[in-house]
Amino acid sequence: MVWQGPLEKVSDYKFRIPKSYKQGMRVDGIIYANEKLLSDIKKDNAPEQVANVAFLPGIVKYSLAMPDIHWGYGFSIGGVAATDPQNGGVISPGGVGYDINCGVRLLKTNLTLEEIKDKIENIVNKLYQNVPSGVGSTGQIRVSKNEEEKILIEGAKWAVSKGFGVKEDLEASEDYGAISGADPDCVSERAYIRGREQAGTLGSGNHFLEVQTIVEIFDAKIAEKLGLFIGQIMVMIHSGSRGLGYQICDDYIRVMVQALSKYGINLPDRQLACAPIDSPEAKRYIGAMRAAANYAWANRQVLMHLVRETFQEIFLKSWQSLGMDLIYDVAHNIAKFEKHIVDGKEKILCIHRKGATRAFGPGNSELPLKYRDLGQPVIIPGDMGRASYLLVGTKQSEEETFASTCHGAGRVSSRSAALKTIDVNELLKELKEKGIEVRATGKKTIVEEAPSVYKNVDDVVDVVHKAGLSKKVAKLKPLCVVKG
Amino acid sequence: MAHCFIDNFQTIFMKKYKILEHTADIRIKIYGKTIKELFKNSAKALFDLIVQNKNEEDKEERKVSLEAMDLNELLINWLNELISIFYTYKFLPIKYDLDIDKNFKKLEASIKGIKFNPYKNKIDTEIKAATYCNLDIKKNKENFEVEIVFDV
Repeated sequence: MVWQGPLEKVSDYKFRIPKSYKQGMRVDGIIYANEKLLSDIKKDNAPEQVANVAFLPGIVKYSLAMPDIHWGYGFSIGGVAATDPQNGGVISPGGVGYDINCGVRLLKTNLTLEEIKDKIENIVNKLYQNVPSGVGSTGQIRVSKNEEEKILIEGAKWAVSKGFGVKEDLEASEDYGAISGADPDCVSERAYIRGREQAGTLGSGNHFLEVQTIVEIFDAKIAEKLGLFIGQIMVMIHSGSRGLGYQICDDYIRVMVQALSKYGINLPDRQLACAPIDSPEAKRYIGAMRAAANYAWANRQVLMHLVRETFQEIFLKSWQSLGMDLIYDVAHNIAKFEKHIVDGKEKILCIHRKGATRAFGPGNSELPLKYRDLGQPVIIPGDMGRASYLLVGTKQSEEETFASTCHGAGRVSSRSAALKTIDVNELLKELKEKGIEVRATGKKTIVEEAPSVYKNVDDVVDVVHKAGLSKKVAKLKPLCVVKG
Repeated sequence: MAHCFIDNFQTIFMKKYKILEHTADIRIKIYGKTIKELFKNSAKALFDLIVQNKNEEDKEERKVSLEAMDLNELLINWLNELISIFYTYKFLPIKYDLDIDKNFKKLEASIKGIKFNPYKNKIDTEIKAATYCNLDIKKNKENFEVEIVFDV
C-alpha cells in the first residue's frame, strides 16, 4: 500500500499531515524528511501510522516522525510521541517496541588506521570468537534469579560492579547506565528465563559490532573536546534487551489490548494498545520496561568489556593505555519521563521514542558535566557498507521534537527481496574491495542487512542536521563488522 | 505415467502458506479448510521460518489454554504463546490438537513436540512476535485465509 494522503510542505525538511486527514486525530502529524526521501517514505504507507499515533489520548503538540521512518508495530519506526500524564496521557508498548532499549554505544581508541590496517582480519576474527552473536545466542554469563533481579535494577552499574568496566563508563551513558523505577516484580517468569540465557550477547538481525575509522570531521571544536581525529579507530556496538525485552513487550501488549475497553480508548490500530499512565496496567508496564532497559544497558556494558579485552589480547596493552573510553551510549527504543516546555510551562511528559534517539542540547542539566557545554552525543549507525555518524543534540530539538532525532538509516527493501536479488558472495567481495571485512553466523543475515536495503544514512543525517535537530560532528566508515 | 502420478499427488496437498513481501519483517499468507486448520497451518508456517526441522518425533507434550476478545486476537495470542514457549522452555511444536469454542474466544490445545534448544542449535530466523498488521481472517469460496506479519 502506498500513502495517498496529504503531506503539506511546512519547510524544506518538515511535512505535515493535518489532523483533518482522519477523524479521531487529536493533533497534526509532522514528518522530518526531504523530497528525495519522501518518495520512499510513501511507498510503505508509514505516514498512516503517524496519523494513527495522533489518536493517542493525551498526546501533546504533534505525532512526529524522523527521516528514517518506515513501517513498524503500531508506531512507525522513527516515531516520536509525547503524552501528558496530567491530561489523560497514555503509554503504549508499541511506542517503545519489542526490543526495549535497543541502542548503541561508541567507544574511542588512540589507535590509527595506519597502525591497524594490516590487522583488520585478525581483529574481526578475534571479536567474532570472543563476542557471542547470532540468532538465539547465549552468553558466558550465568546468573541466578536473584542476581538477574539486580541486573534489572542496576543495569550497567551491575556489570561494572562485577568487573565489566569502570564507573567512568556510567557517566557516559544515557541515564548513567540504569534508569530508576525498574520493578522486577512486574517482569514475568518467562521473561526471566529468556533473559538468563542471553545476558552478554550481541543478538541478530540488525544488531552488530563494528570497528570504524573517522573519515570526516564537521565540527573541529567539538571533535577536539571529544578527543577525536581523522583516521582514529572507533568501535560501535548496537544491541538491545534480547528475549527478555521481547517477552515483556508481548506480556504487556496483551494486558493493554484487554484494557482498551476498560478505559474507553478507541484506536484505529490495536497495536497502539495503551493505558492511562496513572493506571495499574501502565504502572506495571513502566516498571517492567525500565527493567528491560537496564538489562540492555548491562548487556552493552558487558559487550564493551569483551571488546576491550579482545583489543588487549591483540595489542598486548591495557585497554586504558589504548584509550578505549566510552564516548556515549544512547537508547533508541524507549519511553522516558522528561521535563519539557509546553506553551511556556514546564511539564513532565512521557516521551515515546520508537527508533528515535534523545538529543538534549547544550546546557541541559541531565547531561554529565563534561558534555554540558557541547550537547548530548548522538550516535547514528548506518549500514555496514556505508557510514555511521556522531552528532550532538541541540536546543532546537528540545523545542521542536521533544529533544528527539533519528536513529539510523531505515530500511527500503524487504528481507525476502534482498534474499532474491543479492548474492552473498558478490556482496562480501564488494565489501572486501571497499576494505570492509564481515563476519556473521548466518549468510542470510548478511544479505538481509546488505547496504542496498537501507536508505542512505547520509540523506537521513543531512535532514536532521539541516532541520536543526542535531549537529554533525564526525563521519565514521566501517572497517570490520561482526553481525548476528 | 510417473509424471501424472506426481501431479495428482501435488494437487491433493493444498498449499498451506505462502511468503509475501514486507519492508522490515516477514509477511505470510496462510490457508486452511477450517479455522482449526488455519490455526495449525499458521503455527506450522511460523516454525518453518524459525527452524529447519526434519525430526518428526514428538516425545514431549505441552498444553496451552488461551482467551481473547475475538478470533483475530485469538490467532495472535496463539502464535505469540508458541513463540514464548519455544524460547522459554526450549520446546519445538510439531503436532497440534486444538479446540476453539464456537464464540472464538477460547482455545485449548495439546501440542506434541521435541526438546529443542534455540540457544545451542542453529535457527534460521529470530521471530519476535506475530503482529496485528493487516490481520483479518477471511473466508472465501474454498477456504479460510489470513495474512500475518511477523516482527523479526
